[in-house]
Amino acid sequence: MGTETVLLAGEITVRFGGLVALEEVSLEVQAGCIAGLIGPNGAGKTTMFNVLTGLQEPTGGQVDYLGQDISRWPPHRRGRAGMARTFQRLALFSRLTVHDNLVASWESSHRGGVLGRGRGERVARVAEVMELLDLWPVADRLAGELSTGKGRMVELGRALCTDPRILLLDEPGSGLDANETAMFSAVLRAIVSGGSDPRHQATPPAILLVEHDMALVMDVCSSITVLDFGKVIARGTPGQVRGDPTVRAAYLGDASGF
Amino acid sequence: MSQYWPFLVIGLFTGSIYGLAAMGVVLTYKTVGVFNFAYGAIAMFCAFTYWQLHDSWGLTAWVAMPILFLVVAPVLGVLLEALYLPLAGLSAEVLIVVSIGVLAALSALVPIVYGKQDRTLQAIFPTSTFALGAHFHVGYDQLGTLLVSLAVAAVLWALLRHTRFGTSTRAAVDNPDLADMVGVHGDNVRRSAWILSTMFAALVGILISPTQGLDVNQLVLVVIYAFAPAVFGRLVSLPLAYIGALVLGVVVSLLSKWANSGTLANLEAALPYLALFALLIIMGGRLKEAGASSRRLSVATRNTAGMGGGVRTRHWIVGVLGWRLRLERKLTVGLVGFALALFVPMAVPGPRLIDVSYAVVYALIALTLVVLTGWAGQISLAQFAFVGVGAFVAGHLSGSHGQHFVVAALVAMAIAAPLGILVGLPSLRLSGLYLALATLAFALIMDNVVFNRSDVSGGLTGITVPRPQIFGLSFSGRASFYELVMVVFGVVAVAAYAVRLGPIGRRLQIVRDSPLAASTVGVNLTVTKLVVFAVCGMVAALGGSFYGALQQAITPLDFMWSTSLTLLLLVVLGGRSVISGAVIAGAVFGIETVISNPQIHQYLPLAIAVGVIALAQEPEGTVALARRETLRVLSVLRPLPRRSSGRGSEIPSGADMAVAAGGPSVGSGRGH
Repeated sequence: MGTETVLLAGEITVRFGGLVALEEVSLEVQAGCIAGLIGPNGAGKTTMFNVLTGLQEPTGGQVDYLGQDISRWPPHRRGRAGMARTFQRLALFSRLTVHDNLVASWESSHRGGVLGRGRGERVARVAEVMELLDLWPVADRLAGELSTGKGRMVELGRALCTDPRILLLDEPGSGLDANETAMFSAVLRAIVSGGSDPRHQATPPAILLVEHDMALVMDVCSSITVLDFGKVIARGTPGQVRGDPTVRAAYLGDASGF
Repeated sequence: MSQYWPFLVIGLFTGSIYGLAAMGVVLTYKTVGVFNFAYGAIAMFCAFTYWQLHDSWGLTAWVAMPILFLVVAPVLGVLLEALYLPLAGLSAEVLIVVSIGVLAALSALVPIVYGKQDRTLQAIFPTSTFALGAHFHVGYDQLGTLLVSLAVAAVLWALLRHTRFGTSTRAAVDNPDLADMVGVHGDNVRRSAWILSTMFAALVGILISPTQGLDVNQLVLVVIYAFAPAVFGRLVSLPLAYIGALVLGVVVSLLSKWANSGTLANLEAALPYLALFALLIIMGGRLKEAGASSRRLSVATRNTAGMGGGVRTRHWIVGVLGWRLRLERKLTVGLVGFALALFVPMAVPGPRLIDVSYAVVYALIALTLVVLTGWAGQISLAQFAFVGVGAFVAGHLSGSHGQHFVVAALVAMAIAAPLGILVGLPSLRLSGLYLALATLAFALIMDNVVFNRSDVSGGLTGITVPRPQIFGLSFSGRASFYELVMVVFGVVAVAAYAVRLGPIGRRLQIVRDSPLAASTVGVNLTVTKLVVFAVCGMVAALGGSFYGALQQAITPLDFMWSTSLTLLLLVVLGGRSVISGAVIAGAVFGIETVISNPQIHQYLPLAIAVGVIALAQEPEGTVALARRETLRVLSVLRPLPRRSSGRGSEIPSGADMAVAAGGPSVGSGRGH
């Protein structure tokens, strides 16, 4: 558990025409930690993810990754550098098998992978991730045919196969049943503690988690940032956030178990 | 100043007709989500029908017009609606293919129904002129056309603006499901849109034919002029589309004042396509495809299910080991077929061998479209432009410049690569329909600006190309040339096959399935797409150098924009996602050249078009059809008890991956 800052977003602002989606939102994720990003629907969480991974150009602000300003990097460069994400609405490679989803991800994120370099390494890593997420039983199913729960696991596996330093998970718990959620939080902890990959990876990835399932968030996150209408309204430990009156007000009427 | 007035009038006259066409195209796109590539063909069909009614059967305009507008056009509209109804919400690719299929079908149908003789359609307004000022004469037909067009445009606009039909249309466009719930009948709206759009097409047809000539290909082409203004209105705004058409008409007309010959004249002819290409690039990200809302989701899943069909059976039934075997079987079949094909010269008489060579070269060209469209998901309506580049460059070099054929072909490929990148550029910001339009514009620009130049193509007489000599071997004979192209095709096909199974194949697939997700795992979409376009362009140019050498004399007509559409249709027919699809495309092309019977020659394109429309949703086209039928026959023949045990024993058990692949029961049981 280090104090190294993996990801630092400074005063990110995004405007769509007259609509302010994000206003000077800052965010920090430390190595070895699971950070939570929560807020009611439409608060700007996914927009923030899109800014961090380069899919959305911000109107203002800066993104630092491992001490480097990556604000101008295209998405694929961020992916190769170790930022991986999942999507709120599943974005699987639906016509590939589950196994090939992971293989393609490894090949795309590793230098020379698309030319077939590092095959041995790839086989080992993909097998490891398949094992960790219990994906072998569906290895040869087409990703597009899976249940949402399994689909989320495949997205997570695909992200892990890029050997990320940070994982951005966009509502990974939605569509999971109770069993799957329990398994999922165990997997998250395993990932952060380095259990996902004892051999290949020196530093386990940090995680930034967007999630509506408050039990899950409170359970796994060490720090939480709360967004509402594109602004940060609170941040702190789960305990602090839970007791914050602004947060309670923002969530009033929002059936998220708060 | 006064010398410009006539050009202004002509510009407004043609522009107002294009304006009608642009509005007709926009109307169905915004209400039904179908961009009607066949719009010109529909206008053409209606114009021929009018000719039949009026000029051939001698009905007066007062009888012929109502028949055309109140019977023929609505019936055609309803037929189109019925055709597209089951396709609602499908991927852009399928809709494009179907609408090009309709274009081909109507183009093939007209000569069959109305005969092939030359004819002209009289203008519906008197062609005499009246003076306006001292030097300035305006034709009554020009004025009449402009007034009719303005009136009709205004009526449509008012209809959409101030009537229940208008609000219903907007509701049905915004959210079809919700509109249904509040009592807007989507079906009625869609049908009205098709009928109105077809009536507009009929009007366009009879207004434009008197000046442009009543010719199948000519009329299909002119209406493409209207695509640029339609895009200018972002395919949703009727007024913008109409105004854009007027402006374009005037600009083209004014340009024609200066440009009588040479490069400028070519530019004038190409202006609408240049405008289309430029608009698509400039408007880029701001162009949204229709029906992007809820419907698209169901589409994605439906598509997946459809496309996964073959793969799923493959995986569920035979498992990984069997899968490998099966792939090898595929390769074996291919190689055996190839080996047999090498002996074709012994069995086929000489002149016919040329036709077989055509089929092989065509299959090589078709293969590039399989990779580009079937595998990488990038639609191209310009693939034959690359063939043309290859043919002319290699033809000039190996012909008049006496270069070695290999050098000539390599240079041709080297020139095709940057052109491929140029065509690929729009794909960085556009996909589906807009990419298709951009590539179509590119093909037309190449036709008008490059292939039309006599120093490039030798004009309509064309250029002559010698058969190749490679490393001292002469391939001037029919048999030796056949062997040469067969070997080249075999090498390229095996290479494509190997690439398909490896990391690059996976990369193409993921860029196609989810470009967004692919980019976040590290795929450089820009590089990937441009490389695919460049490589496919290069191989098409290679095919072009052989095409030229095979034909020995080539003209611009061999590579006209419509040849690219035919290529797409044949590839879809064969199967756009499989190499054997390219082989079938080549075979069909070969058969078309072989057949001399005029009857069959007339009906074959129609049959192909109908086949394409029927198979548009099936990525493996005829291949899938053949496989399905074979399996059906076999399943009848197979004795029952052996069947179940046979399947069972193929399910691997135990070790790692094989577990997952073990049949539906095991796989799905653990999956949920």
